[in-house]
Amino acid sequence: MAVYRLGRIVLESYPVLVLCVLIGLIAGLTLEKSLERIEGTMVIVMIPLLNGIGGNLGSILGARLASALHLGVVSPELRGRVLRENVRTSALLGLAIFSFIGVAIFLMALGRGISMFAALKNAAVFMLASLMLLPVIISSTVILAFASFRKGLDPDNIVIPVMTSIIDVAASACLLIIAVNIVGV
Amino acid sequence: MPRRKEFSSMFIQGFLVLAACTFIELGAGTFLKTMEDALRAVGGLAIMTLPLLDLRGNINGAFASRLGSALHLGVIPARLKMTRELKVNVVSSLVLTLMASATIGIMAWATGVLTGVEVDILRLLIISMVAGMLSGVILAFLTIGVAVYSYLRGIDPDNIAAPLMATVGDFITVFCIYIVVLIVG
Repeated sequence: MAVYRLGRIVLESYPVLVLCVLIGLIAGLTLEKSLERIEGTMVIVMIPLLNGIGGNLGSILGARLASALHLGVVSPELRGRVLRENVRTSALLGLAIFSFIGVAIFLMALGRGISMFAALKNAAVFMLASLMLLPVIISSTVILAFASFRKGLDPDNIVIPVMTSIIDVAASACLLIIAVNIVGV
Repeated sequence: MPRRKEFSSMFIQGFLVLAACTFIELGAGTFLKTMEDALRAVGGLAIMTLPLLDLRGNINGAFASRLGSALHLGVIPARLKMTRELKVNVVSSLVLTLMASATIGIMAWATGVLTGVEVDILRLLIISMVAGMLSGVILAFLTIGVAVYSYLRGIDPDNIAAPLMATVGDFITVFCIYIVVLIVG
């Protein structure tokens, strides 16, 4: 029996991809407006990192949940040990990798010859923004995986594209809010 | 069913891949910047580059995610052999690439017209579709290689394929756009 069909993959994915391009355009336009305020700061370096790695983290959880749903190891309900362990490990993985990047940002900032205090402030901005983003990554991934599966769609086709687009908008927003409005880089 | 070991390997494999992605992402910044500056010369291409990169990541992320599920389910055997199910997956990715790249080309043209930038729609379409197909073919085979190889080595492809392909994909896609722009002129 054929499991994958060309028509189904294309019909399920095309609207999702166009939606993602539109979300991407919104993200680009929002960023464009704030670009002047953060020009020359470390925030410029942080945005692609938080977008990229945040999306990657969600991709791991998304791909795992999709496999688990297909295998029947997880049912699309907000309970059960497998879901709990996946969410918990993703949260730990997120904390570990964002701390790792936080240290890298601290070192890069020092390398640019700014004061120890300013470098710490930059690392703090990244850590706070990533702590804000982590629940968004995990919840949007779980919701998209379960909702698409319940609707009879293949979560493999939906979760990664939509989630990474949401994260692009959310990551820039978190960083700009923390950096510009709260810490004041 | 879920064993401790499964989640400790999710953490370790995930951390190593995300750390690698962080370094690639940091290195990519400079490389992409150099290439993008060269690309700004073509009217409308600047509008198109980011959406094309996102699109590449999304189509390939979904492809990697489907491959992970299919390998776990045993629908696609862990061999480098073009079975029917694998062929359907590759062909759908390429069909989607053509459709979505054309959509982006038209959107870039419309944006250019609305904002008064001089754009040549035929040129934009050729660049987006040829570069999309070129990077699509290269990345499809890389994704299959990474997913099958990791599965054979006892590494869960869900933990590594999508993040790795999204990050490496940016490099390859910008390079393909650059090559096509050089050829088309």
